[in-house]
Amino acid sequence: MLKGRGRSIFKKIALFLAILGPGIITGSVDNDAGGITTYSVAGALYGYNLIWTLIPSFIVLVVIQEMNARMGIVTGKGLADLIRENAGVKVTFFIFIGLLIADIGNTTTEFAGVAGSMEIFGISKYISVPIVSFLIWLLVVKGTYKMAERIFLIFSVSLLTYVISALMGKPHWSEIGSSIIHPRFKVDSQSIAMVIGLVGTTIAPWMQFYMQSSVIEKGLKMKNFKYTLIDIVVGCIATVVVAFFIMVACASTLGEHGIKIEEAKDAALALKPLAGTLASAVFAFGLFVASIFSATILPLATAFYVCEAFGFEAGIDKKWEEAPEFYVLYTSILVIAAAIILIPNAPLISISLWSQVINGILLPVVLICMILLVNNKRIMGNYTNKPINNMIGWTAVIVLVGLSAMLLLMPLFNS
Amino acid sequence: MTSFKTFYLSRILGRNVYDTNGKFIGVVKDLLIDTGPATANQTPPFGRPVVAGIRLKIRNELKLFSFRYFEITKINRKIDVTGHQLVELPIENIHNGLFLGEVILDKQIVDLNGRKLVRVNDVRLVSLSEGTYAIAVDVGVEGLLRRIGISHPLKTLLSFLKISIPAKFILWDDVEAIDFSNYNIKLSKPYSKLHTLHPSDLADIIEELGKSTSTNVFSALDEEKAADVLEELEKDTQIHIIESLPLEKVADVLEKMPADEVADILDGLEDEKAESLLNEMEAESSQEVREILEYPDRTVGSLMNTEVLAFNENRTVDEVISEFRSLRPEADELYNLFVIDDKEELVATFSLRDLVVSQPNVMLKQIMKTNPIYIYDDQEIDDVAEIISKYNLLALPVVNRNNQLEGMVIIDDVVEDLIDKRRTNR
Repeated sequence: MLKGRGRSIFKKIALFLAILGPGIITGSVDNDAGGITTYSVAGALYGYNLIWTLIPSFIVLVVIQEMNARMGIVTGKGLADLIRENAGVKVTFFIFIGLLIADIGNTTTEFAGVAGSMEIFGISKYISVPIVSFLIWLLVVKGTYKMAERIFLIFSVSLLTYVISALMGKPHWSEIGSSIIHPRFKVDSQSIAMVIGLVGTTIAPWMQFYMQSSVIEKGLKMKNFKYTLIDIVVGCIATVVVAFFIMVACASTLGEHGIKIEEAKDAALALKPLAGTLASAVFAFGLFVASIFSATILPLATAFYVCEAFGFEAGIDKKWEEAPEFYVLYTSILVIAAAIILIPNAPLISISLWSQVINGILLPVVLICMILLVNNKRIMGNYTNKPINNMIGWTAVIVLVGLSAMLLLMPLFNS
Repeated sequence: MTSFKTFYLSRILGRNVYDTNGKFIGVVKDLLIDTGPATANQTPPFGRPVVAGIRLKIRNELKLFSFRYFEITKINRKIDVTGHQLVELPIENIHNGLFLGEVILDKQIVDLNGRKLVRVNDVRLVSLSEGTYAIAVDVGVEGLLRRIGISHPLKTLLSFLKISIPAKFILWDDVEAIDFSNYNIKLSKPYSKLHTLHPSDLADIIEELGKSTSTNVFSALDEEKAADVLEELEKDTQIHIIESLPLEKVADVLEKMPADEVADILDGLEDEKAESLLNEMEAESSQEVREILEYPDRTVGSLMNTEVLAFNENRTVDEVISEFRSLRPEADELYNLFVIDDKEELVATFSLRDLVVSQPNVMLKQIMKTNPIYIYDDQEIDDVAEIISKYNLLALPVVNRNNQLEGMVIIDDVVEDLIDKRRTNR
């Protein structure tokens, strides 16, 4: 006889805990320095007015990540692999060159987050950035990455400190409620750019690749898909809740006093006189953790997908000689990003802005590829999309393309 | 005609085809190569597969024609495809046909020398007077740039700086196509070159493949090889393979594996699935597995190998050796020999060396070593490594609390366990 292994509630909880991860990690990485900056700026500039964008973002995020997880589980192949095999070299090249440039920009933003948050604690960026980037590099090259990921995951709970920051700012809940129920949207190029930025940072293209790979690495199965779904929803809720409180924190303090900010660091500094030193320090600590977490994952993930798409060996379990392209790429992204931050008077804001714009352009392209792949019966068998998934997916594509087009055409009409 | 032209698949695909009068025929969509055994009187040069067919798109319709009447010309780096005659080629006529664009280009293939997966950026072909052949796959950066269309300008640019872009080719003999997920033609002997790979390397490759491909490659292996490969696979992949193959096929493979490995695999499956596999296996094999499954995790019993060779001390050397000849045991068993009494209690050990150097009529009790080192089946696995390293053993007999021989633990299993533990600690 086999050992008695009863199916109890504990068994189910254990199974869920084993499956837990990809969605929640992806959700946490989502609130990176770029995200925090965008939410802070949106809150400071538009008050509670743009909070409603989090609801459609949440729906699209869940739908997209569900597709990624399903594709990963059914095919066992990464998104980069699937795109290369089905869309050909040219499309792949376009996507990945874009992804590479955007991700170098994003990594730079992460280091800006590290530098900014440490400056609030009085540590110069010329000390913090080299040390942090070297530690991150060592972490990955020495192969202790898995352990680090777990530590980061625990640390990412500290993102919930934004809730404290927000509550300390004494927000007006009735106003928040009414702005969500009656969304207001002024059509001008600045607010359109802001909305694209908000959506683009919540649904960053590189995360689709990351999500799919981590599902494969976990060895998940279609049979337990409902647990994976819970994992995804929990991760997305975490993302949106944190985003919500950052926007509230900045809206109820900076927004009401009409203080304009350009960086996440400014938000932390500006919170000090309005919500107290503790709120400011808490905000800075959250920013620091989020920045390091993403600065570790982002260059690694980018190097991995680029290698996957172009057929180079990749993976942190490979030695340097076995996967030279992978390590060179990984190191270069890290070094370039760190170096840009250390240039005195570097145009950080334009870098952050431009990488968001590239993300915004890439997102619909990646989404279109994904929707086509996930509806391909030869690839997905019986697990192709349901009409509702396609509807939401295509709507997101159309809205995003529409907004981007409006942003580009707006100057023509105004003149 | 002494024409000798090499060209790339990517330069041919999508090219317009004209007839001898310069009239437009259609667009090249794919080339079909024949990987089947060459007929006796027509050995292809270098043993490379010949291009047998060309798939054209003519007015929105895909048609396959015999390549024999097509000509590739290359003038000043400009490639032209000319069709002298259009003879339709029924796909059934080619026994082992592969469409290069569909199965090779952009797909992962196995590099048999490097023992790893590589992605194909292009295929290099050569056109001789007797035919056109696929000679190598391009897996380098240059191929990638060529596909994007910036290889030539970039090369010219870099040549001023005296930098060359590395080209990387693998000869056709050293690759095997594996990804047939987009393919609906049944090949008679796919993956045949993979048999030359070591089971461990094969397992590494299978782990990296997509789900459907990994199942296909695995099911093409014969039972012995499949058993060796299954043993080497990571847990996730093992479970995936087992769950996607028919029950009988899996049971046949499991029967070829040591009982402790099977028990390990079954432990990771659902109860019902494990039970139905055990029922499907031959009674003798499944009984051994069931015995091991009864031991709690982390005890010596759950790790041990139950296939052991044990003899009575009154047997002669000659008898034992002739029994080996009829049993044909595995190497692991043969190197670790035991002596038991009538109550199956462990008495002594003896070595293959002692056996071979002794006279045929010598009795085991004259060559055996009494007071053997052993371990109890309910002891912790962690104790094994200590004992094995202390006494410099390759295997350790396992007895139950009545001193009856139950099996042995091999050093391989201990090392594997230690490595697993180090990995999870990380």
